[in-house]
Amino acid sequence: MGNYTFQWRQAFRALPQMLDGALVTMQIAILSMLIGVTIAVLLAVARNSKNRWISAPATAWVEVARNTPALFQIYMAHFGLGSFGIYLSPFTALLAGIAFNNAGYLCETFRGSLRAIPPTQTRAGLSLGMGPVKAFRLIVMPQMFRIAFLPTMNQMVWAILMTSLGVTVGMSTDLTGVTQDLNARTFRTFEFFALAAVIYYLITKAVMLGARAVAWRLFRY
Amino acid sequence: MKITNIAGGLIAATLVAAPAMADKLDDIVSSGTLRCAVVLDFPPMGSRDADNNPVGFDVDYCNDLAAALGVEAEIVETPFPDRIPALVSGRVDVGVASTSDTLERARTAGFTIPYFAFTNVVLTREDAGIDGYESLAEHTVGSVAGTYEGIALEEDIKKWDKGGSYRPYQSQADVFLALSQGQIDATVVTSTVASAIVAGGKYEGLTIAGDAPYLPDYVGLIALRQEYGLLNYLDLFINQQVRTGRYQELYEKWVGGDAPDLTIDKVYR
Repeated sequence: MGNYTFQWRQAFRALPQMLDGALVTMQIAILSMLIGVTIAVLLAVARNSKNRWISAPATAWVEVARNTPALFQIYMAHFGLGSFGIYLSPFTALLAGIAFNNAGYLCETFRGSLRAIPPTQTRAGLSLGMGPVKAFRLIVMPQMFRIAFLPTMNQMVWAILMTSLGVTVGMSTDLTGVTQDLNARTFRTFEFFALAAVIYYLITKAVMLGARAVAWRLFRY
Repeated sequence: MKITNIAGGLIAATLVAAPAMADKLDDIVSSGTLRCAVVLDFPPMGSRDADNNPVGFDVDYCNDLAAALGVEAEIVETPFPDRIPALVSGRVDVGVASTSDTLERARTAGFTIPYFAFTNVVLTREDAGIDGYESLAEHTVGSVAGTYEGIALEEDIKKWDKGGSYRPYQSQADVFLALSQGQIDATVVTSTVASAIVAGGKYEGLTIAGDAPYLPDYVGLIALRQEYGLLNYLDLFINQQVRTGRYQELYEKWVGGDAPDLTIDKVYR
């Protein structure tokens, strides 16, 4: 690196552009988590089902989502579906890929959390005259989210970092996309990538600290 | 006593001053190897043959350069975005990688005089309904991120603002895949790549729909900006390649026809 002179002024001038990119990154990460959590709850319930027609598809989803690279899943959402004539824009493909991945991982997190809740809780609910759906919704699910909260936030951090894979499917507006574009135009590779790394670090750190604060506020016994 | 002191001082002074700075050119000659960054998914400039060996205009150009320097050539496969990191980290000595010599980039990398010039054409699918550059305005188009033609196309799409959009992909192969699938309706690529792809028949239904009205895309070799000795040598080497007819010969081998003029009227370089 002795023959490279850092020029930070030029990099800092592009900071507003990069922060706009960071917003898009957050947008994708948050949306992918909302979709992921919703699907994951359904998958977790389905995987616990005794009916094989319900549990098998859920198991297949989890197996594929957890045992293949996220890059592959995003690439497939764009180019894989594209070969069947289903065209997802880079934004949608990236969102779909990450949501798919989130759902797979979170399903297992939720399933573990469900195991930690004694079955007597459900039975107590039933004995009070609740239906099984209502007992799950009012008694089991809130406890499940409490146990799974911090691991879920872990997945959130992972989702933020996975958005950087969007460049492989033509994403140009997220933080990595903007950084790549600046790099190609100016060749000031190290400044822009260092700046992007710092922004990613600050975002994920903020998410983790925020999650801890929320957990402390909501889940004290 | 005094004389020995003075003599000792003189010797010490020469020793301190002596290490005449060995520059990159010296390093290459004494190491016996020239390491060239070449992009190998960019036919006919660089690609791999059936036996996975690097071939193409840029590969031959690097071999010529190594022969001129009296050293062995080593081709280091380098994707477009990695050219500068490869140079700066010392993984390669020279970039023979079709690098457009923009003023913005020249603030970072050292460019030689042009060694090649591209013209750009519109590559589209037969069923996309595109009959020229202007009609791209309403379509989704794409190109390789950060290339000369990609930057120009993105700017035009923004300027037209007629509902078209631009997608940058990370490699030329992804652009062609997206185009053949219908994810994008057209791309702008260098005429050499376009004819290689249409003739190759790997993607069906692709066709060239006229020229893109850009200035010729002059490309230079790149080296570290401060290595004047090396850059100087490279300039002379390019001059000799043209002068001896080797440039035309390589052009006929890889592209065919008359090689593009590398001089610009009314100005020195």
